[in-house]
Amino acid sequence: MTKYVVKRLLLMIPTLIGVAVLIFLLLRVVPGDVVEARYVGGSGQFSSKEVMAAERARLGLDRPLWTQFGTWMLGLLRGDLGISMWTGAPITEEIRLRFALSLQLAVMATVVATLLAIPLGIVAALKQDSWTDYAVRVFSIAGLAMPSFWLGILLILGLLIVFRWLPPMVYTPFWVDPWQNLAQLIWPALAVGYRYSAVATRMTRSAMLEVLREDYIRTAKAKGLWLKLILVRHALKNAMLPVLTVIGLEFAFLLGGLVVTEQVFNLNGLGLLFVEAIAHRDYTLTQALVLLVAFVFILVNFLTDVAYAWLDPRIRYR
Amino acid sequence: MAVTDRALDTLGEPAERAERRWLTASRDFVRRRPLGALGALVIVIMSVVAALAGVIAPYDPLATDYGAMLGAPGAPHWLGTDAFGRDVLSRMIYGSRTALLVGLGASFFGATLGALLGVASAYFGGRVDLVMERFMDILLSFPLIILALAVVAVLGTGIVNVTLAIAIPMVPRCARVVRSTALAIREMPYVDAARAAGFGHGRIIMRHMLPNVMAPYLIMLTAFLGQAILLEASLSFLGLGVQEPTAAWGLMLRGAAVEFAETAPWMAFFPGLAISLAVFAFNLFGDSLRDALDPRLRTQ
Repeated sequence: MTKYVVKRLLLMIPTLIGVAVLIFLLLRVVPGDVVEARYVGGSGQFSSKEVMAAERARLGLDRPLWTQFGTWMLGLLRGDLGISMWTGAPITEEIRLRFALSLQLAVMATVVATLLAIPLGIVAALKQDSWTDYAVRVFSIAGLAMPSFWLGILLILGLLIVFRWLPPMVYTPFWVDPWQNLAQLIWPALAVGYRYSAVATRMTRSAMLEVLREDYIRTAKAKGLWLKLILVRHALKNAMLPVLTVIGLEFAFLLGGLVVTEQVFNLNGLGLLFVEAIAHRDYTLTQALVLLVAFVFILVNFLTDVAYAWLDPRIRYR
Repeated sequence: MAVTDRALDTLGEPAERAERRWLTASRDFVRRRPLGALGALVIVIMSVVAALAGVIAPYDPLATDYGAMLGAPGAPHWLGTDAFGRDVLSRMIYGSRTALLVGLGASFFGATLGALLGVASAYFGGRVDLVMERFMDILLSFPLIILALAVVAVLGTGIVNVTLAIAIPMVPRCARVVRSTALAIREMPYVDAARAAGFGHGRIIMRHMLPNVMAPYLIMLTAFLGQAILLEASLSFLGLGVQEPTAAWGLMLRGAAVEFAETAPWMAFFPGLAISLAVFAFNLFGDSLRDALDPRLRTQ
């Protein structure tokens, strides 16, 4: 087990380096950089060659690629993400400001998704091929089909028309005013959570169906055990493994992938920062964000794999 | 050589019989999977609407009419007008073209490239396979939309670039699935036979292995379609996809649609409904097709 964990951990390093190299090169192969984005766009009155060259030298963009990459990597080793080319602020600071919001939203959406998915999946499995089953399946496929930003717009609109009330549009940290904070974040969490419950619902359903056919369930039934007890103790426990994996992966995705939903709800999270970084051609910030998201993704992947292997002794480690 | 060549290459089925087989298979599909058939029906309707947009659309989708800004649904604008007085229905009809074009283009390109890489990876094995797999790992460590955004950052916006940006995240996903099927096919006697007959790598991959991974390829292709349409809408909504004044559903939900959501809700409502319906239909169809083609993946 320890060998397996260490091996998987070590395998993360080359993948992350690969991600770093890939995004580093991708950003730099195309014409146009942050200096151009700042001076040439808009009024363009500062587009004198000397000013731009000086600015490039200040940002280190005139140095050879491998030096730029080396500087970035050395900084990373020291835990220093560098400085945003657009705002000039340290990237750690830029990310820290938004991370709390994105993390809270991801956790809330995951809770919503889990609360929807597990009961619905169980009910659908128990009443297989009935109208309930069909209704649950249509409900979950519909969740996958509806863009969460549209659902968000509809939610806001619904609140406005029915209750003449709008959720607060300015972010308040949870520890400052929990009520205000939840009043704002529950809506995007609902919109996104519904969407992400779809995959987990289907996973719960099929895992339950598989488990319910097992011999030990029949034995438990034959023993005359109470149905609820069979479900919780015998079936659910065994069916939860694949569901956990799906939920874990979605959580990783939610942390960095809420780009569009943040836009609708006017939330200044990591997704919005990412879109801005791309628009400004802010190399350092884009790099750092891509690496962060990839890191979380790989880490959660790793954690679910380990949890899986740990919870299910039948899995062999290769 | 000529004889072996034919024996190994042709599928040996007259066109007429193949046609009848298709017909029977389709009828069977409709009977056994009504939900999938419903999805297919919506897709067919959508395609017809997209193809005949010029005939069906009551107005020019780009024509502005400042006298009729933010008009409510009703005659003469059935689904109302937007902030520039453009007819919402006509823009939706033309928007189906964008959605289908980008959706089909991206899925086809992404799945095909993925299938080619997956089969090649399995066929060559060894170091090629290892390097390819690690590269796919790297691509897979990006969430779908983040990779698409990164590609847009590199290529720029516009319909062709957006199609590519959506296709690229699909490549590793398809390659993974196709590779696992191709690994088994590589061990088949007919591949050995083809190799013994002295065929080149390219020919064995293209004519002997690729046709046999059609089932996972089609499954991935149809599974991508809905996602691709959704991704295009998301990118356009962010302003990083298809650009104004082109009619695209995601674009219609952007800007004024949100600003005037209270006074003119139809601007945001109908295009979103179109996206949902299209993705819903593609997902229903894709799911049923998967169940029909691959019994192992069948959702019980």
